[in-house]
Amino acid sequence: MNYRECDVSVAELPARVREEAERTIPLGAHASANVVQYTFLEREGALALRARVRDGETLVSSTPSFPMFDWDEREMRDERGVQFVQIPDERPLFIEHGRVPEARTASGRGVTTIVVGPVHAGIIEPGRFTISSAGESIAHLDAQLSYSRRGIERALEGMHVLDAAPLVATICAACSVSRSWAYARCIEALGDCACTPAAEFARLIFAELERLYNHLFDLASASAGAGFARGQLEGLRLKERVMRLCGEHTGHRFMFDAVQPGGVRAGVLADPAALRASLRAMRPEIERYGTLLFETRSLVARFSQTGIVSPERAGAFGAVGPALRASGGRADVRTHAPYGAYCLIRPEVPYESAGDVLARARVKYREMLDSLRMCDLALAELGASTPDEPEELSFRGGRWTAVTEGARGATVISLGADMRGSITRMHCITGSYRTWPLVARAMEHGIVPDFPLVNKSFNLCYACADR
Amino acid sequence: MSRPFTHALAIRHLVCGSCNGCEHEMNALAGPDYDMTSEGFEIAASPRHADAITISGPMSDAMRSAAAATIAAAAQPCIIVAIGDCAAGAGPWCGIGTAGNGAGEEVGAEIVVRGCPPTPEQIKAGLREAAARLNDGSR
Repeated sequence: MNYRECDVSVAELPARVREEAERTIPLGAHASANVVQYTFLEREGALALRARVRDGETLVSSTPSFPMFDWDEREMRDERGVQFVQIPDERPLFIEHGRVPEARTASGRGVTTIVVGPVHAGIIEPGRFTISSAGESIAHLDAQLSYSRRGIERALEGMHVLDAAPLVATICAACSVSRSWAYARCIEALGDCACTPAAEFARLIFAELERLYNHLFDLASASAGAGFARGQLEGLRLKERVMRLCGEHTGHRFMFDAVQPGGVRAGVLADPAALRASLRAMRPEIERYGTLLFETRSLVARFSQTGIVSPERAGAFGAVGPALRASGGRADVRTHAPYGAYCLIRPEVPYESAGDVLARARVKYREMLDSLRMCDLALAELGASTPDEPEELSFRGGRWTAVTEGARGATVISLGADMRGSITRMHCITGSYRTWPLVARAMEHGIVPDFPLVNKSFNLCYACADR
Repeated sequence: MSRPFTHALAIRHLVCGSCNGCEHEMNALAGPDYDMTSEGFEIAASPRHADAITISGPMSDAMRSAAAATIAAAAQPCIIVAIGDCAAGAGPWCGIGTAGNGAGEEVGAEIVVRGCPPTPEQIKAGLREAAARLNDGSR
């Protein structure tokens, strides 16, 4: 996977963004000192359109034509002081100094608002959801996040790229591997370092195990959202099996720091044959789980036609990951711009087109079977050998953007560092950040009791969206 | 069962800048491997129903007032349990950026479950300790 930059003027930026968004996969935008960057994924790797913004200069917002940039542009405005004209949502994106932005609500005859959060009646990350409903029907859902905001990106500035690696691993637990992998790839690109093939196979295995436990949790949570306890309990049981395997074979249940700049942590995957046998034994159990879910007629009926995301809307909001691929989209970073061992072991990416809860569940279920297949191949490649310690880096500084496919879609890391390895800018977004605005839209025209189910059919993280 | 049933525990969980790792491990308690209902533990739908408040994360600015309001709303006696290294004041995000120095520290947690994140078994042990303290009349 490569990376290229293209300098453009502030005046030509919106037209160039439009052009590239149609030609490639748009990923997001961020700002650093006096420079805004819109990032895209080409077949060859990431493409950055970069425009220098002079003092007092204003940018034309790309959000009116591409709603996907709504959060990115508001974040650039609020956090980095970039001035936009025609930005549709003037409200602050983040909660600052205890001031929570006012929710947008629908108005009209019989419309009432229901506010839930930020603390929820379950073990759920914090968010405030303001539901405008007319009777049972939802007219509008306003999702206010940023309750988990720690100001991570600014805090990492000035830190050495290697010292920051363990922190990057824990920005959000459930996306740890995909983020550490993208981060490591940035450092390796700027450090003239190539991983050993064994380390690349190990990374693929970790990433697929992460997808596996996340998808099992998503299916368990969606079952709970539909009141199907058996599906919830069986999903939690299988998830626990995978997390125990992660703990046994990487030393950590969430695989924190298993991926390290230059390779993988010494000592991981000490017994590839044992992991291979365990995962082979899991396959029929996961298949039985699929049968339980998709042959329970009442569950399928509840999942069907609920929380629909149309292909047009998925496109406009820049959907990624299973959320995109359940709505007729095709993009998967692993096949669109292959990296690491995905160049050798090619994913067989499943698609659905209905865009409802059922389609998302089916995509995730079939992805899990493919994850098992790829783990099996990668573990066979490792044979009895185990990956070595990470390779040496000779860090030369510069900028790089690397993209991986996490359980919820594209994980994008843009890293800038000086010659000494000091971070000048680190921007990190995940599939959760990209997909949250879509969750709110997927609720429209549903009924209030759909909310937990539709929300859990995406099961996005808050920690990596808030940062 | 080696231990007699002593005390049910209704739990309200507060997430204050956690990375969601502690939440994943707490959610595991609902699964068949840890089955917290066999201990008489349940997640309460309101702090008014809570015997224990579990709290995770370093404390984010945006959660500070909601956390205080939740704790103030809990009926007494109610015991506060810090879940994870961040809440204990020793996690990776304590004091970094706008994060606080430990949500459990800040709100005066009585029981601290260490780990990054703690395992479901460790969290369950902390909750058993909370139930025991509420039950033995020591507070």
